[in-house]
Amino acid sequence: MSLKMWSLKKSVWVFHVNVGACNNCDIEVVNMLTPKYDVERFGIKLVGSPRHADALLVTGVGTHQAVIRLREVYRQTAKPCVVFLIGACACGTGIFKGGYHVAGPVDEIIREVDPDAIIAYVPGCPPKPEAMISGVVKVLSAL
Amino acid sequence: MLQEELKNRLSEVKDKLIGIEETTERRIYLLCEAENAHAVNKFLFEDLALRFVIATGIDSDDCFEILYHFSNDETGCVITIKAFIRDREKPSIESITPFLPGAEWIEREIHDLLGIDFENHPNLRRLILADDWPEGVYPLRKACPERSEGTKK
Repeated sequence: MSLKMWSLKKSVWVFHVNVGACNNCDIEVVNMLTPKYDVERFGIKLVGSPRHADALLVTGVGTHQAVIRLREVYRQTAKPCVVFLIGACACGTGIFKGGYHVAGPVDEIIREVDPDAIIAYVPGCPPKPEAMISGVVKVLSAL
Repeated sequence: MLQEELKNRLSEVKDKLIGIEETTERRIYLLCEAENAHAVNKFLFEDLALRFVIATGIDSDDCFEILYHFSNDETGCVITIKAFIRDREKPSIESITPFLPGAEWIEREIHDLLGIDFENHPNLRRLILADDWPEGVYPLRKACPERSEGTKK
Protein backbone atom coordinates (compact mmCIF):
# COMPACT_ATOMS: atom_id res chain seq x y z
CA MET A 1 0.00 0.00 0.00
CA SER A 2 1.37 3.35 -0.98
CA LEU A 3 1.85 6.07 1.60
CA LYS A 4 -0.86 8.14 -0.06
CA MET A 5 -3.42 5.32 0.22
CA TRP A 6 -2.44 4.63 3.82
CA SER A 7 -2.95 8.27 4.76
CA LEU A 8 -6.23 8.40 2.86
CA LYS A 9 -7.64 5.50 4.88
CA LYS A 10 -6.28 6.61 8.23
CA SER A 11 -8.90 9.25 9.01
CA VAL A 12 -11.20 10.27 6.20
CA TRP A 13 -12.06 13.95 6.08
CA VAL A 14 -15.06 14.65 3.92
CA PHE A 15 -16.30 17.64 1.98
CA HIS A 16 -20.03 17.76 1.39
CA VAL A 17 -21.22 18.85 -2.08
CA ASN A 18 -24.92 19.42 -2.80
CA VAL A 19 -25.57 19.45 -6.55
CA GLY A 20 -29.34 19.80 -6.54
CA ALA A 21 -30.55 17.60 -3.69
CA CYS A 22 -33.85 18.15 -1.91
CA ASN A 23 -31.95 18.45 1.40
CA ASN A 24 -33.17 15.09 2.69
CA CYS A 25 -29.86 13.31 2.06
CA ASP A 26 -28.06 16.33 3.53
CA ILE A 27 -30.01 15.99 6.75
CA GLU A 28 -29.03 12.31 6.96
CA VAL A 29 -25.38 13.26 6.37
CA VAL A 30 -25.58 15.66 9.30
CA ASN A 31 -27.40 12.99 11.32
CA MET A 32 -24.41 10.69 10.74
CA LEU A 33 -22.21 13.22 12.55
CA THR A 34 -24.49 13.67 15.57
CA PRO A 35 -23.79 11.83 18.85
CA LYS A 36 -26.01 8.84 18.00
CA TYR A 37 -23.73 7.62 15.19
CA ASP A 38 -20.79 9.91 15.91
CA VAL A 39 -18.48 9.00 13.03
CA GLU A 40 -15.97 11.53 14.26
CA ARG A 41 -14.71 8.87 16.69
CA PHE A 42 -13.36 7.09 13.55
CA GLY A 43 -11.70 10.29 12.38
CA ILE A 44 -14.41 11.05 9.82
CA LYS A 45 -15.36 14.71 9.89
CA LEU A 46 -16.69 17.42 7.64
CA VAL A 47 -14.19 20.01 6.48
CA GLY A 48 -14.73 23.42 4.94
CA SER A 49 -12.57 23.08 1.84
CA PRO A 50 -12.10 20.34 -0.78
CA ARG A 51 -8.34 20.92 -0.51
CA HIS A 52 -8.45 19.48 3.02
CA ALA A 53 -10.71 16.56 2.06
CA ASP A 54 -10.03 12.88 1.40
CA ALA A 55 -13.58 12.19 0.25
CA LEU A 56 -16.44 14.02 -1.40
CA LEU A 57 -19.99 13.35 -0.29
CA VAL A 58 -22.12 14.24 -3.29
CA THR A 59 -25.91 14.55 -2.96
CA GLY A 60 -28.39 15.55 -5.65
CA VAL A 61 -29.08 14.95 -9.35
CA GLY A 62 -26.44 17.28 -10.78
CA THR A 63 -28.25 20.32 -12.21
CA HIS A 64 -26.86 22.36 -15.10
CA GLN A 65 -25.93 25.16 -12.71
CA ALA A 66 -24.24 22.89 -10.16
CA VAL A 67 -22.18 20.47 -12.27
CA ILE A 68 -19.75 23.23 -13.30
CA ARG A 69 -18.99 23.73 -9.58
CA LEU A 70 -18.86 19.97 -9.00
CA ARG A 71 -16.15 19.53 -11.67
CA GLU A 72 -14.15 22.36 -10.11
CA VAL A 73 -14.54 20.94 -6.59
CA TYR A 74 -13.39 17.53 -7.81
CA ARG A 75 -10.34 19.07 -9.49
CA GLN A 76 -9.43 20.88 -6.28
CA THR A 77 -9.77 17.83 -4.03
CA ALA A 78 -6.46 16.37 -2.93
CA LYS A 79 -5.82 13.07 -4.78
CA PRO A 80 -6.23 10.22 -4.18
CA CYS A 81 -9.80 10.79 -3.09
CA VAL A 82 -13.00 8.80 -2.84
CA VAL A 83 -16.32 10.11 -4.17
CA PHE A 84 -19.39 8.93 -2.27
CA LEU A 85 -22.64 9.38 -4.18
CA ILE A 86 -25.32 9.63 -1.51
CA GLY A 87 -28.92 8.87 -2.38
CA ALA A 88 -30.93 7.70 -5.38
CA CYS A 89 -30.54 11.04 -7.22
CA ALA A 90 -26.76 11.08 -7.09
CA CYS A 91 -26.53 7.36 -7.97
CA GLY A 92 -28.49 7.71 -11.22
CA THR A 93 -30.70 10.86 -11.20
CA GLY A 94 -33.61 8.85 -9.71
CA ILE A 95 -37.09 10.20 -10.39
CA PHE A 96 -35.63 13.30 -12.09
CA LYS A 97 -34.23 11.30 -15.03
CA GLY A 98 -34.74 13.26 -18.24
CA GLY A 99 -35.75 16.46 -16.46
CA TYR A 100 -35.03 19.72 -18.27
CA HIS A 101 -32.51 20.94 -15.74
CA VAL A 102 -30.67 17.66 -15.10
CA ALA A 103 -27.13 17.40 -16.44
CA GLY A 104 -26.24 14.26 -14.44
CA PRO A 105 -25.80 11.33 -13.67
CA VAL A 106 -23.15 12.56 -11.29
CA ASP A 107 -20.80 9.58 -11.80
CA GLU A 108 -20.53 10.32 -15.55
CA ILE A 109 -19.69 13.96 -14.81
CA ILE A 110 -16.90 12.95 -12.44
CA ARG A 111 -15.60 10.36 -14.93
CA GLU A 112 -15.35 13.13 -17.54
CA VAL A 113 -12.87 14.91 -15.27
CA ASP A 114 -11.07 11.80 -14.07
CA PRO A 115 -11.77 8.41 -15.72
CA ASP A 116 -10.04 6.58 -12.85
CA ALA A 117 -12.00 8.22 -10.03
CA ILE A 118 -12.90 5.99 -7.07
CA ILE A 119 -16.69 6.22 -6.88
CA ALA A 120 -18.89 4.57 -4.24
CA TYR A 121 -22.66 4.43 -4.50
CA VAL A 122 -24.96 4.61 -1.46
CA PRO A 123 -28.52 4.31 -2.78
CA GLY A 124 -31.65 5.17 -0.82
CA CYS A 125 -34.10 8.02 -0.61
CA PRO A 126 -32.59 9.08 1.70
CA PRO A 127 -30.05 6.41 2.73
CA LYS A 128 -29.91 5.71 6.44
CA PRO A 129 -26.77 6.77 8.30
CA GLU A 130 -26.08 3.06 8.86
CA ALA A 131 -26.03 2.57 5.06
CA MET A 132 -23.57 5.43 4.62
CA ILE A 133 -21.28 4.10 7.36
CA SER A 134 -21.49 0.64 5.79
CA GLY A 135 -20.55 2.17 2.42
CA VAL A 136 -17.54 3.90 3.92
CA VAL A 137 -16.39 0.68 5.60
CA LYS A 138 -16.76 -1.31 2.37
CA VAL A 139 -14.80 1.23 0.33
CA LEU A 140 -12.00 1.54 2.87
CA SER A 141 -11.63 -2.23 3.17
CA ALA A 142 -11.61 -2.60 -0.64
CA LEU A 143 -8.88 -0.02 -1.21
CA MET B 1 -62.48 39.31 9.58
CA LEU B 2 -65.23 36.73 9.66
CA GLN B 3 -66.48 34.82 6.65
CA GLU B 4 -69.71 36.80 6.22
CA GLU B 5 -67.92 40.15 6.35
CA LEU B 6 -65.30 38.88 3.89
CA LYS B 7 -67.95 37.85 1.37
CA ASN B 8 -69.72 41.20 1.69
CA ARG B 9 -66.51 43.12 1.13
CA LEU B 10 -65.55 40.96 -1.86
CA SER B 11 -68.65 42.23 -3.65
CA GLU B 12 -66.98 45.68 -3.74
CA VAL B 13 -64.70 44.48 -6.55
CA LYS B 14 -67.42 42.54 -8.35
CA ASP B 15 -67.25 44.75 -11.47
CA LYS B 16 -63.59 43.78 -12.00
CA LEU B 17 -64.28 40.04 -11.87
CA ILE B 18 -65.61 37.52 -14.37
CA GLY B 19 -66.96 35.35 -11.61
CA ILE B 20 -66.68 34.12 -8.04
CA GLU B 21 -66.48 30.40 -7.30
CA GLU B 22 -66.85 28.92 -3.86
CA THR B 23 -65.69 25.33 -4.10
CA THR B 24 -65.84 24.72 -0.35
CA GLU B 25 -66.59 26.71 2.78
CA ARG B 26 -62.96 27.80 3.06
CA ARG B 27 -61.92 28.15 -0.58
CA ILE B 28 -62.94 31.09 -2.78
CA TYR B 29 -61.79 31.71 -6.35
CA LEU B 30 -62.01 35.17 -7.90
CA LEU B 31 -61.77 34.93 -11.69
CA CYS B 32 -60.58 37.99 -13.59
CA GLU B 33 -58.78 39.15 -16.72
CA ALA B 34 -55.08 40.02 -16.49
CA GLU B 35 -55.75 43.79 -16.75
CA ASN B 36 -57.81 43.79 -13.55
CA ALA B 37 -55.59 41.45 -11.49
CA HIS B 38 -53.46 44.29 -10.12
CA ALA B 39 -56.44 46.20 -8.74
CA VAL B 40 -58.01 43.08 -7.20
CA ASN B 41 -54.71 42.10 -5.59
CA LYS B 42 -54.30 45.58 -4.17
CA PHE B 43 -57.84 45.47 -2.77
CA LEU B 44 -57.27 42.11 -1.06
CA PHE B 45 -53.87 43.07 0.32
CA GLU B 46 -54.35 46.69 1.34
CA ASP B 47 -58.08 47.09 1.97
CA LEU B 48 -58.91 43.63 3.35
CA ALA B 49 -55.41 43.11 4.88
CA LEU B 50 -55.25 39.49 3.79
CA ARG B 51 -51.93 37.63 3.91
CA PHE B 52 -50.26 36.86 0.56
CA VAL B 53 -49.27 33.18 0.53
CA ILE B 54 -47.82 32.44 -2.90
CA ALA B 55 -48.58 32.73 -6.59
CA THR B 56 -48.82 29.96 -9.17
CA GLY B 57 -48.31 30.08 -12.93
CA ILE B 58 -50.07 27.60 -15.21
CA ASP B 59 -49.91 27.02 -18.95
CA SER B 60 -53.44 25.94 -19.83
CA ASP B 61 -53.29 25.55 -23.63
CA ASP B 62 -55.48 28.53 -24.67
CA CYS B 63 -54.16 30.99 -22.09
CA PHE B 64 -51.78 31.44 -19.17
CA GLU B 65 -53.21 31.57 -15.67
CA ILE B 66 -51.60 33.31 -12.71
CA LEU B 67 -53.09 32.32 -9.37
CA TYR B 68 -52.51 34.64 -6.42
CA HIS B 69 -53.32 32.90 -3.16
CA PHE B 70 -54.32 34.96 -0.12
CA SER B 71 -55.16 33.65 3.31
CA ASN B 72 -57.61 35.01 5.85
CA ASP B 73 -55.80 33.76 8.93
CA GLU B 74 -58.73 34.35 11.28
CA THR B 75 -60.94 31.78 9.57
CA GLY B 76 -58.40 29.76 7.56
CA CYS B 77 -60.15 30.70 4.34
CA VAL B 78 -57.95 30.79 1.22
CA ILE B 79 -58.94 33.30 -1.46
CA THR B 80 -57.37 32.75 -4.86
CA ILE B 81 -57.34 35.33 -7.64
CA LYS B 82 -57.24 33.51 -10.97
CA ALA B 83 -55.98 35.91 -13.65
CA PHE B 84 -56.23 34.86 -17.30
CA ILE B 85 -53.55 36.09 -19.74
CA ARG B 86 -55.09 35.61 -23.19
CA ASP B 87 -52.12 36.83 -25.27
CA ARG B 88 -49.96 33.72 -25.78
CA GLU B 89 -47.40 35.45 -28.02
CA LYS B 90 -46.34 38.16 -25.56
CA PRO B 91 -47.86 37.23 -22.22
CA SER B 92 -47.65 40.04 -19.69
CA ILE B 93 -49.34 41.13 -16.49
CA GLU B 94 -48.88 44.05 -14.11
CA SER B 95 -46.48 43.19 -11.28
CA ILE B 96 -47.78 43.31 -7.70
CA THR B 97 -44.26 43.62 -6.24
CA PRO B 98 -44.35 47.46 -5.95
CA PHE B 99 -46.92 47.27 -3.14
CA LEU B 100 -46.27 43.64 -2.09
CA PRO B 101 -42.51 42.97 -1.85
CA GLY B 102 -43.10 39.35 -0.82
CA ALA B 103 -44.15 38.57 -4.38
CA GLU B 104 -40.80 39.56 -5.88
CA TRP B 105 -39.17 36.12 -6.05
CA ILE B 106 -42.24 34.13 -7.10
CA GLU B 107 -42.79 36.58 -9.97
CA ARG B 108 -39.17 36.16 -11.00
CA GLU B 109 -39.58 32.38 -10.87
CA ILE B 110 -42.74 32.46 -13.02
CA HIS B 111 -40.90 34.77 -15.42
CA ASP B 112 -38.06 32.19 -15.63
CA LEU B 113 -40.18 29.11 -16.10
CA LEU B 114 -43.19 30.35 -18.09
CA GLY B 115 -41.82 33.50 -19.75
CA ILE B 116 -44.49 35.85 -18.45
CA ASP B 117 -43.45 39.49 -18.40
CA PHE B 118 -44.33 41.22 -15.12
CA GLU B 119 -44.66 44.91 -15.98
CA ASN B 120 -43.11 47.40 -13.54
CA HIS B 121 -41.32 44.64 -11.63
CA PRO B 122 -38.29 46.34 -10.03
CA ASN B 123 -35.85 43.48 -10.56
CA LEU B 124 -36.95 40.91 -13.14
CA ARG B 125 -33.65 39.00 -13.38
CA ARG B 126 -33.15 35.26 -13.78
CA LEU B 127 -33.75 33.44 -10.50
CA ILE B 128 -33.61 29.65 -10.67
CA LEU B 129 -32.52 28.52 -14.12
CA ALA B 130 -28.81 28.03 -14.87
CA ASP B 131 -26.75 31.04 -15.97
CA ASP B 132 -26.12 29.41 -19.37
CA TRP B 133 -29.78 28.49 -19.95
CA PRO B 134 -30.78 29.79 -23.42
CA GLU B 135 -32.90 32.94 -23.61
CA GLY B 136 -36.47 32.46 -24.71
CA VAL B 137 -36.74 28.80 -23.67
CA TYR B 138 -39.36 28.39 -20.97
CA PRO B 139 -39.34 24.84 -19.57
CA LEU B 140 -42.79 24.82 -17.98
CA ARG B 141 -44.58 25.76 -21.20
CA LYS B 142 -46.34 22.77 -22.68
CA ALA B 143 -44.80 23.34 -26.13
CA CYS B 144 -41.23 23.48 -24.77
CA PRO B 145 -38.96 20.92 -26.49
CA GLU B 146 -36.65 20.77 -23.45
CA ARG B 147 -39.42 19.21 -21.37
CA SER B 148 -38.83 15.52 -20.92
CA GLU B 149 -41.05 13.09 -22.81
CA GLY B 150 -42.39 11.64 -19.59
CA THR B 151 -43.93 14.87 -18.36
CA LYS B 152 -45.71 15.76 -21.63
CA LYS B 153 -49.43 15.40 -21.90
